[in-house]
Amino acid sequence: MQIYLPIAEISVNVFVLLGLGAGVGFLSGMFGVGGGFLMTPLLFFIGIPPAVAVSTQANQICASSASGALAHWKRKTLDLKMGLLLLAGGSAGSILGVQLFAYLRSLGQIDLFISLSYVGFLGIIGGLMFLESVRAILRRNAGGARRAGAGGGRRRRTWIDRLPFKMRFPTSGLYISVIPPVAIGFLVGTLAAIMGVGGGFVMVPAMIYILRMPTNVVVGTSLFQILFVTALTTVLQAGQNQTVDIVLAMLLTVGGVIGAQFGARAGRHMKAEELRALLAFMVIAVCLKLGWDLVVTPADLFEVMQHGRGGL
Amino acid sequence: MIGALLVSLALQGQPTLLTSEPPSIVAALTHETVEIREDFSGQELVLYGATRGMTIQDEIVVVLRGPARDLRVMEKQRNFGIWVNSAPLEFENIPSYYAIATSLPLEEIATPESLAGSGIGLPATLAIRAAPTAAQTERDIRPYLDAIGRAGSRNDLYAEAQRGVEILDGGLFRATISLPPLTPVGNYVAEVYLFRDGRAVASRSASLRVEKAGLERFVYEFAHDWPWLYGLFCVVLAVLAGYAGYLAFNRR
Repeated sequence: MQIYLPIAEISVNVFVLLGLGAGVGFLSGMFGVGGGFLMTPLLFFIGIPPAVAVSTQANQICASSASGALAHWKRKTLDLKMGLLLLAGGSAGSILGVQLFAYLRSLGQIDLFISLSYVGFLGIIGGLMFLESVRAILRRNAGGARRAGAGGGRRRRTWIDRLPFKMRFPTSGLYISVIPPVAIGFLVGTLAAIMGVGGGFVMVPAMIYILRMPTNVVVGTSLFQILFVTALTTVLQAGQNQTVDIVLAMLLTVGGVIGAQFGARAGRHMKAEELRALLAFMVIAVCLKLGWDLVVTPADLFEVMQHGRGGL
Repeated sequence: MIGALLVSLALQGQPTLLTSEPPSIVAALTHETVEIREDFSGQELVLYGATRGMTIQDEIVVVLRGPARDLRVMEKQRNFGIWVNSAPLEFENIPSYYAIATSLPLEEIATPESLAGSGIGLPATLAIRAAPTAAQTERDIRPYLDAIGRAGSRNDLYAEAQRGVEILDGGLFRATISLPPLTPVGNYVAEVYLFRDGRAVASRSASLRVEKAGLERFVYEFAHDWPWLYGLFCVVLAVLAGYAGYLAFNRR
């Protein structure tokens, strides 16, 4: 059954969209990630104009993070103060990102820029995750000896502690400068606008390794920030670029909500290190596919663009 | 010698015998508007018409032209191993849709020069519309125009149907044109030409409007007329969907 998308202005099979939503939702439920980094490239591959794909993804992530953030809110596993700081940085990043997006689109370089951002970020994150999980698996197989210093004990002082404007975060039990959270939030907000991702794959490691937040509040705080930043990005993209396709977003959301439940169930039967290694594999695979498309000789050496829109 | 003279006389006499009046043409489309709804996946259009004073050598050419768009065409060049869009050229007023249907292959109806003169056929149309761009640049614009043609053909927005016009008895004819799933919205013009001896001797045009309807129209107009409100609406809907998901699956 074909459906014509009013903003993307193309006709797509409904079941392809529901299936994509369910498939990516399954993976995100299984791995506990948003899945934006998978969905946005998949939308490019089925022919959605990149500008519409990125903006619509922000809207879909808004829906999927809302249910997660609500659950964490109820369980009180989020640091509201830290979340608001991340959100302040994220809002600025999102505003800048939407402007940058519009500017690069006017130059005809947005597709290249999106691809390069994906290759860079996915390559780094995927590579780090892969090394991490391989080390964890090796360690476990070596007899489960705990590495000295991991987890317990007082944390060592780093350059982070020397930054000014310190603030207390009772929920996380931290006393740190406001600069790192705002900077991390800013980076993630920019990514949301440019790449159509929530940015959890950058924010969660940054909160654990840079801010050293306790792991029980990391996911909730990250979802809280993502919910509001993607909401802002949706409004900005809709208001400024008119590139949010609500029909596309809703179809992906319906598939995603259902898929995520099955994914979460499937994920319970797997070990955490193996899950992470598998996720790292997928991140690297998407990275390689996008990287390959940048270097392989294209089928048509010319690109025809309509003013204010994607391809012809 | 006398035989040749007779033949030429007969040839001269023939058209005058059959065409006591100047050639003329009437035409109409089966639709005046085409509506794009949720289930739109392309549509067939029929253009039918009648000619007066048509002879056996005459041929019919039907052109359907979509709304004009401004395009930017960029050539991909390799920089540090990566293909980068470079060397942009801007083209204005390029038809977003161009279909041509003929009663004989176009090259058998008229010479390329004659077609170029009357602006019939995609190459001639693109060349005319690209003239301002060509005047501004020293680069060869032909590869760019070819790229526009290829991009249009890929999405069936530029199409040529040789023998797509069926000539019936009594000077009646019928042409079938298909609108693809990616049909752009806007005003379309259908032009019908009667060709004789490689020249268009009569023409007629009809108009067509392609517009969004139903839910498609509502969403499109909402998104373009009240973009900020639409953005807020999208967020509210997304949060409600997320809340519904939370209620359905997270609360035990």
